Amino acid sequence: MRISRVLLLLIAPATLRAQTVDDGMLFPRRALSAGIVYVHEDWSQYWEGTLKRENGNIGTVTTQRVSWIAGYGVTDRLTVMVTLPYVATRASQGPLHGMSGVQDFMLAAKYQILATSLTDRGTLRALIVGAAGIPATNYTPDFQPLSIGLASRQVSGRFTLNFQARDGWFLNGSAGYTWRANVKLDRPAYYTNGQLYLTDEVAMPDVVDYSIGAGFQHGRLCIPVTLSQHRTLGGGDIRRQDAPFVSNRMDFVKAGAMVMYRGVHLGASRIVSGRNVGQTTEVTGGLFYTLHF
Amino acid sequence: MRRSLTHSVLALALTCAACDNTITSTEVLPPLDAASLDSAAGSWRMIVLSGPTQVTVAAPAADTSVAYRAELAAIKSAQAHLTASQRRSIVYWSAGGVLRWNEIVRGLVARFNLPPAPRADGTYPVPDPENPFADPQFPFANPPYAARAYSYVAVAQFEALKTAWYWKYQYHRRSPAHVDTDIAALRPLSDLPAYPSEDAVISGVTVELLKVLFPAAVEEITQRAAEQRNAALWSGKASSSDIAAGLALGKAVAAVFVARAGADGMKNAVGTPALWQAFADSAVAHGEIPWKSQESPPRPPMLPNFGLLQTWLMTPTDVMAERPPAPPSTSSPQMQLEVAEVRRTVDHLSGTQLAIAYKWNDGAGTYTPPGHWNDIAAEYIRDARMSEVRAARTFALLNMAMHDAAVGCWGVKYLYFNPRPVQLDPNIKTMIGLPNFPAYPSGHSTFSAAAAVVLSYLFPAASSDFDAMKNEASISRLYGGIHYRSDIERGKEHGARIGGYAVRFAQQDGAN
Repeated sequence: MRISRVLLLLIAPATLRAQTVDDGMLFPRRALSAGIVYVHEDWSQYWEGTLKRENGNIGTVTTQRVSWIAGYGVTDRLTVMVTLPYVATRASQGPLHGMSGVQDFMLAAKYQILATSLTDRGTLRALIVGAAGIPATNYTPDFQPLSIGLASRQVSGRFTLNFQARDGWFLNGSAGYTWRANVKLDRPAYYTNGQLYLTDEVAMPDVVDYSIGAGFQHGRLCIPVTLSQHRTLGGGDIRRQDAPFVSNRMDFVKAGAMVMYRGVHLGASRIVSGRNVGQTTEVTGGLFYTLHF
Repeated sequence: MRRSLTHSVLALALTCAACDNTITSTEVLPPLDAASLDSAAGSWRMIVLSGPTQVTVAAPAADTSVAYRAELAAIKSAQAHLTASQRRSIVYWSAGGVLRWNEIVRGLVARFNLPPAPRADGTYPVPDPENPFADPQFPFANPPYAARAYSYVAVAQFEALKTAWYWKYQYHRRSPAHVDTDIAALRPLSDLPAYPSEDAVISGVTVELLKVLFPAAVEEITQRAAEQRNAALWSGKASSSDIAAGLALGKAVAAVFVARAGADGMKNAVGTPALWQAFADSAVAHGEIPWKSQESPPRPPMLPNFGLLQTWLMTPTDVMAERPPAPPSTSSPQMQLEVAEVRRTVDHLSGTQLAIAYKWNDGAGTYTPPGHWNDIAAEYIRDARMSEVRAARTFALLNMAMHDAAVGCWGVKYLYFNPRPVQLDPNIKTMIGLPNFPAYPSGHSTFSAAAAVVLSYLFPAASSDFDAMKNEASISRLYGGIHYRSDIERGKEHGARIGGYAVRFAQQDGAN
């Protein structure tokens, strides 16, 4: 009771909108922001390799994700962030059981390497981001598409450029590379990418992603719009009438928009093209509070 | 604070980046240095052939002949210019042709073990052996098909190798590396006579069967077989006449098995819509709830007539006599209890139980339960350093038992046409894919018990391990939510009885 009252009192003016690793935002020094983000994703069509189809044995696959997110401004140039999602999946048709559990713990550090005024129009900033993720529980990645994740440890490096105009408009560009560790299955053999593998270990191809974004910020309101591309550098296609596999070549292009006001975030996105992924529509909502020390 | 956080990010990053991502896809096998030559294998009892002289092998030319000298010179010249890839194939095939082909067949099964996708009108096409490259590809190498395929390859290799051994010890021709000291032995060389070459026998018999069983893979199969013969030549183990005689022998034995496969009942195993309906009608007439496909759109049941296929070691009377009793009636209190157990189990599954369900899932896209047991057997064969002919015997006994288990099990499945747990209680959700055929008895349990009985006889020191694996494979189906306990228990008993036929054959085939 007392704690919650303190928290309420400490809710800051919502000038803070850094919540993802690929935006160009940093927290002020000694600001701690934490929040809960809820994501609802579903798809009824998916790409089996490059063939777009539906499947009566799963119907619509829904994934719900509740993430606890926290960020802290170590200095004005360095922000560290952690996220821990709880994920639950289900299929609307067919006999398959959904899955749920705590997924991957992610730790990221964003560092501003450059901030320079461009005439008097605005500020150009460059950031580098290092992130690492590790499965927080031993959930199985071998029940795609209903597994809660891919269960691969990963590290990523990212470079982000952000231009913030004085009149409130901003532009954002980001490129990241993710190295993924091998995944272990509970079975001694699997077939993927045209080959039988007589081992329980699966090599996970690396992933690159790019995003461009633009938006407007005025006072406590911020509206970013983003187009991102995600490419897996290897892996096999889902075979005809086969289930997806953890190391599939999962590619997609996603368009999304968000509205942030004070500590409230609402957003939506949709995959516009893909390979070995569902055509996901995502709706997200988040509540953040910020403490200044 | 800042420094320590940066350090922890870096530490996490390094632990991951330092991982070695290399995966070896094939089994790492040492070069075969057989514990015994098994020189009497030419007299071991045959299964399909009338005897080792059903296929004759003409006498080879003398070691001193001009023709043979020219063959030796060709090996020397080949050895002088071996490429890295030729050396790799020598190493690969030196593990033993029987083990390697078993591994290759497991890969083919996994590749072809996919059900046809539905058409737009909700019907399903049937894979067509006359058009194997189309969609759907031929075959759909589901568990019964796979059990049959593994068994044809294994039994044909075994019969061909027994025949080869017989002729080897008629002619006693030595290996090129033994005859001519200028020829290097690039793999362990035994005193096994070289003519006809066992590598060529295995390649010839296997390739002809695989062309029939997996016609769409003909190119890959033919290349692997040629590579095996070349590796035997390059390694100084066999001359071109050893290889030619072995290849001819292998192909001649294959012809016998290809003819058998054409008439063993597989062609009619898919059945007809009228037959599928008759199963349902029969269950209703007996007061039972008939099995219904839970797929969307509903898919015809898998190979309803597989229970009528020709078996290896059982007569049709044996097949009937070994059948388990009827399952609990779908309206019985016993069945209610069993349905409740499935639901309770799936809804309270531990991490260990889930891992067991996935370990033994062996569903679509995998090498199937019979393939899993071949995978297990391969390690014991390797460790026992079995000669090619003894390795072939092991796989033949194992796979005859599992084929007969498939025939026995499928016959009972369609006799009772018993529904799966999710059909009787739609609240049950499965942790693994739901097989599209009746529940009783469990195929996994039947296969696994048959396999465990055979392997326990052949490798008695490991019998408790095989028993534990059998129990784990069987109960994994309850954990997965796709079988009742009585499916599993009756399946295990049925499989063990069927495995007994292979054990009794092995006890008196002259190989002990």
